Amino acid sequence: MVLNGFPLNIKPLEILSDEQVEAIHRGTLDILQETGVRFEHDKALKLFADSGCHVDFQKRLVKIPDYLVEECLRKAPSSFAVKARDPKNTVRIGGTTVYMMSNCGMNTLDLDTLEPKTPTLQDQDDFVKVLDALEHVHILGYGPHHNFQGVHPLMTLPMGCASRIRNSTKAMDAGGIKKCQVWNIKMAKATGQQLLGIVTVSPPLTYYSDAVEAAFDYVEVGFPVELWSGAVYGGSGPVTLAGATVMTNAELLAALVLAQLIRPGIGVIPYDFTFPIDMQRGHPFFGAVEICLHSMAFNQIWRHYRIPCGNAFFWSGKAVDYQCGYERAVSTFLAALSGANVICALGGGSMELTAHPVIAVLDDDVMGMVKRVLEGMDVSEETLAVNLIEEVGPIPGHYLNREHTRRWWKKELFIPKVADRTSYPEWVQGGKKTALENAKTRVKEILSTHTPTPLPKDQDEEINRILREAEEWYKKQGWW
Amino acid sequence: MSAETEILENLKKAIFEGNAGDARSLTLKAMEKKIDPLTVADVLTEAIRKVGEGFGRGELFIIDLSMAAEAMKNAVPIIEEEIKKAGKKQKTQGTVVIGTVAGDIHDIGKTMVSTLITAAGFEVIDLGVDIPAEKFLEAVRKYNPDILAMSSLMTITTPEQGKVLEALRREGLRDKVKVMVGGGAVTQEFAEGIGADGYAPTAPGAAELAKKLAGIE
Ligand code: B12
Repeated sequence: MVLNGFPLNIKPLEILSDEQVEAIHRGTLDILQETGVRFEHDKALKLFADSGCHVDFQKRLVKIPDYLVEECLRKAPSSFAVKARDPKNTVRIGGTTVYMMSNCGMNTLDLDTLEPKTPTLQDQDDFVKVLDALEHVHILGYGPHHNFQGVHPLMTLPMGCASRIRNSTKAMDAGGIKKCQVWNIKMAKATGQQLLGIVTVSPPLTYYSDAVEAAFDYVEVGFPVELWSGAVYGGSGPVTLAGATVMTNAELLAALVLAQLIRPGIGVIPYDFTFPIDMQRGHPFFGAVEICLHSMAFNQIWRHYRIPCGNAFFWSGKAVDYQCGYERAVSTFLAALSGANVICALGGGSMELTAHPVIAVLDDDVMGMVKRVLEGMDVSEETLAVNLIEEVGPIPGHYLNREHTRRWWKKELFIPKVADRTSYPEWVQGGKKTALENAKTRVKEILSTHTPTPLPKDQDEEINRILREAEEWYKKQGWW
Repeated sequence: MSAETEILENLKKAIFEGNAGDARSLTLKAMEKKIDPLTVADVLTEAIRKVGEGFGRGELFIIDLSMAAEAMKNAVPIIEEEIKKAGKKQKTQGTVVIGTVAGDIHDIGKTMVSTLITAAGFEVIDLGVDIPAEKFLEAVRKYNPDILAMSSLMTITTPEQGKVLEALRREGLRDKVKVMVGGGAVTQEFAEGIGADGYAPTAPGAAELAKKLAGIE
């Protein structure tokens, strides 16, 4: 059984010519073969060397020959499944399916003062419950928070993962830093699910040991991996979109090769998570439209490789307002229309630093809109309605008294849950509520009515045991 | 314009425009013409300060700042060498050792801070990212800096900053150096909690803080 994502029933938007795709691919191969990628990890260096790469052990630089890249691209599957706790939530990533994934923020947000706040574990649990309930969330991204009141920093990632497992039965991803993957994997196995492991490049062209450890740990147990790029154009990558595409592509292909060398056939999904630099502040410019342009090229290239791909978006505004809405809508629409298989965009707020369930509820409506557009237009004898049009004829004919209307209107129309659609008098009577206020109400409703399927008692205890084991281990390492 | 003034004016321009090649050749030329290295050092400092001010006013951008800092790197070592040879002493604002803590590879914010502190007239030794406590200590011993600056963007790596402070105390080095901390996961409260001397939320704020900690107004 798999969870249906959104069907991409329309031809994906393409912004590059075939020649341009080839030019980017050739540039990528040049970088991989001539410049190389740095891997701060002995085991990885040895594996690359044993597989025919030119490895400079001193500089920790790996040069990957063309044939190996092409070979690994063939070995990586064009689609793969991620097993969820509840089998009906298992996803199969690839093809023309678009899945929506939640994203994260270090802090929660006080919606009245718009100040970031350190979340409690209760905030985290509630957030996950809301994500579990939302119709257009197919995959839980890591987080949604990674910073909790009263929790030792080293325990934030394992505790976050435990909270996701306990409060949702959906498929999910999980981080890989400071060995947190060891506990994440144990918890996933104890609850009969897989995780999408996160492997992050450090642009330009570097993989530090944490990321490579995560790759080995997740892939060795047969969990598929997400390969995350993160270049900031003009900062940690070329300022030109084409140049950033070449560099990002080289970084991700290097990780893809590593994953296929560790375990041929393992599922991989590269993510575009790149942004222009804000030249006044040095921050990534999260709401930039160039991100979308880059993602559209990215999606086209990975479709050409027959490998599924993902895009991720945040916004740069601090409030939850008009700017956030357009930044979110423009980016998710362009990503979906250009064929991203996973879009990581629900719930995350300003600059990846805040996240809030109310944002996720607003996003759920945006994703519903995306879904409706991807479904496309149903054209059949019945939907063309030629006979009906003939029957009704000109005015005074109308359609509000027809069975055809009753049968089709709900299928044809997406009804957003929190957008304000009221008439003006109604709106005034109802206390002039905005979409934001409606979203707040919906979060409260979900929290009072939705109970995620709880873990069986023995599994729940096992999670506690694993967390205790993690704590002891971190203390023993002297990292505490 | 005398030949001397012309060289110095052009050098100022080379730094301001971030032209590393010119900065180097003009500095060498100045040395050839036996211009007082202390005078050249002043010109360099004035130029980079102007860049910092332009950035502060929003007229210049980070790329201009970094290019100017790069040009400085091509000129400063030549001058330092000459000053040393002449047995003179250069007046800088002080020395800062900076790095991102162990386990954290976030680079951009730390590099910005390092550039802006350079522009404020400090000599900056940038250790890079993923720097374990021992390395910070080693650098404190080696360079005897006025300030040690640490960056951490992740909750999971913030305890590292506390560990460095502990190690400084243990090794009897704590009184020798002021410690400032920053990065996305760090707060004023946290900085106080681990006993740091200062925290700033932004790179321009970090430069101001460095001046304050070095006792310069
Ligand atoms: C770009 C980025 C990356 C890039 C880094 C590329 C590079 N070469 O630097 C990549 C993709 C590699 C990356 C990787 C990861 N990242 Co990251 N990343 C970011 C991101 C989007 C921007 C960081 C940045 O450059 N900001 C711009 C600079 C200018 O800001 P800044 O660093 O904060 O610095 C400013 C101030 O803080 C201050 N400052 C900085 N240093 C200092 C020092 C002193 C002394 C002072 C006074 C001031 C000061 O001045 C600067 C300028 O004003 C942030 C989110 C965000 N909005 O910050 C996440 C973020 C920092 N990353 C995060 C995480 C978790 C990770 C990963 C673990 C992801 C993963 N699951 O694998 C890995 C970790 C890898 C590792 N071992 O470190 C989290 C941290 C959450 C937390 N609190 O724990 C964040 C907040 C995002 C999130 N919500 O998930 N990341």
